[in-house]
Amino acid sequence: MDSVITQSFHVEGYRKGFDEGTRQGMIDGRKHRASHGAKLSTEVSFDYGFGITWKCLLQNNTDVKARKRLKALESPLGLILKFPHEEPQYENLQEDMEKVRAKFRLVCSLLNVPTDFSDYVKSGGISF
Amino acid sequence: MKDTLALLQKFNAHPDSRCWYVAWNPKGTLLASCGGDRAIRIWGREGDSWECKTVLQDGHQRAVRKVAWSPCGNYLASASFDATTCIWKKKNDDFECLTVLEGHENEVKCVAWAPSGNLLATCSRDKSVWIWEVDEEDEYECVSVVNSHTQDVKHVVWHPTQELLASCSYDNNVCVYKEEDDDWECRAILEGHTSTVWGLTFDPSGQRLASCSDDRTVKIWKECQPGGTDTAWKCVCTLSGFHGRTVYDIAWCPLTGALATACGDDGVRVFKEDETADPDQPVFSLSAHVPKAHSQDVNCIAWHPKEAGLLVSCSDNGEIAVWNYQSAV
Repeated sequence: MDSVITQSFHVEGYRKGFDEGTRQGMIDGRKHRASHGAKLSTEVSFDYGFGITWKCLLQNNTDVKARKRLKALESPLGLILKFPHEEPQYENLQEDMEKVRAKFRLVCSLLNVPTDFSDYVKSGGISF
Repeated sequence: MKDTLALLQKFNAHPDSRCWYVAWNPKGTLLASCGGDRAIRIWGREGDSWECKTVLQDGHQRAVRKVAWSPCGNYLASASFDATTCIWKKKNDDFECLTVLEGHENEVKCVAWAPSGNLLATCSRDKSVWIWEVDEEDEYECVSVVNSHTQDVKHVVWHPTQELLASCSYDNNVCVYKEEDDDWECRAILEGHTSTVWGLTFDPSGQRLASCSDDRTVKIWKECQPGGTDTAWKCVCTLSGFHGRTVYDIAWCPLTGALATACGDDGVRVFKEDETADPDQPVFSLSAHVPKAHSQDVNCIAWHPKEAGLLVSCSDNGEIAVWNYQSAV
């Protein structure tokens, strides 16, 4: 008789613990997701603003170098515009972000602009 | 008659410091070395010995990890832990710093010149590989930044005849890159090593690639279905059980086809290919081995471009050793 009661307490205890864990996990997960999502959008928006600014500065310049830099800017700007902002489960997010970062490093090298934007953006990708 | 590897000369190249790398100029008249003392030294032959001709001391703020000569022999590139790559122009017996390539976020681990002389590749602990173009006015401009590795990229090497680049990394992989529409992209990932891949070398024809690793093996890769945009490489041979520690560098002799390795067990080894084996399943055997070539880790090994059998190695103890390899056959 004792063992049946103990067993049912175990089952109930497990179920309550599991439910509580699930609830807390959802809260923590939501916070984590919001925080990382915010960091990522800050980075993407900064990159976009940076790119558009340089595009405006360069577009009336007809020399060969300016043309090259404009062409180099097209790639990351294009990638950002194609980003599915409403799709949190987008599979290629990490890969596309790496491509954008790499393209921006190339553009900064061509423009002779240092890439230390830590005053504006605390980025660094998503890590687990 | 046995194959032999005889010591010709040993000298201290970078006092109280590591000697990280050695590179022959295309004519084989000069040897460039670089080290933890932030210096680049140029050595020239005087009779039977090698003497220091020039010291380039102020180019970098931190250790110089690798040096590379341009195919014409008039320029030297140096890759440093200070995150920059310096391009030096040879003016008689001296070198002047032409330009400094910046952009990598941290330590630059390697620099390599394409056989055409128009392209340069660098790689870094920031996980990226950069390809730079040089124009007729000696102006260098980055054309691509590629992030195919997931960890520190240790080495880059160009194919001897095609515009194709290979890199290797702490992520255990080798990546092969080709150009498509003015953009360099990773076209193949060679998986197989179980630890950091430290070095790469193409065979004289460019049909095979050898890699060396912290997993104490050397792997030989061959391109299957060559041509077209994509490229696929298969591991056709693994040399295991020969090295006691990490294999830090590997060099394929352009004249004889012999394969030399630099090892963390202080040894230098030369492997010879079995001529009768199936080309798709090559067989290599240990031809010569000097167990205590240096008193510390051997970091680099390089075959002379013109003189068959002449080999140079350098070590953590700051020394450079010059060897003569002779095959009995």
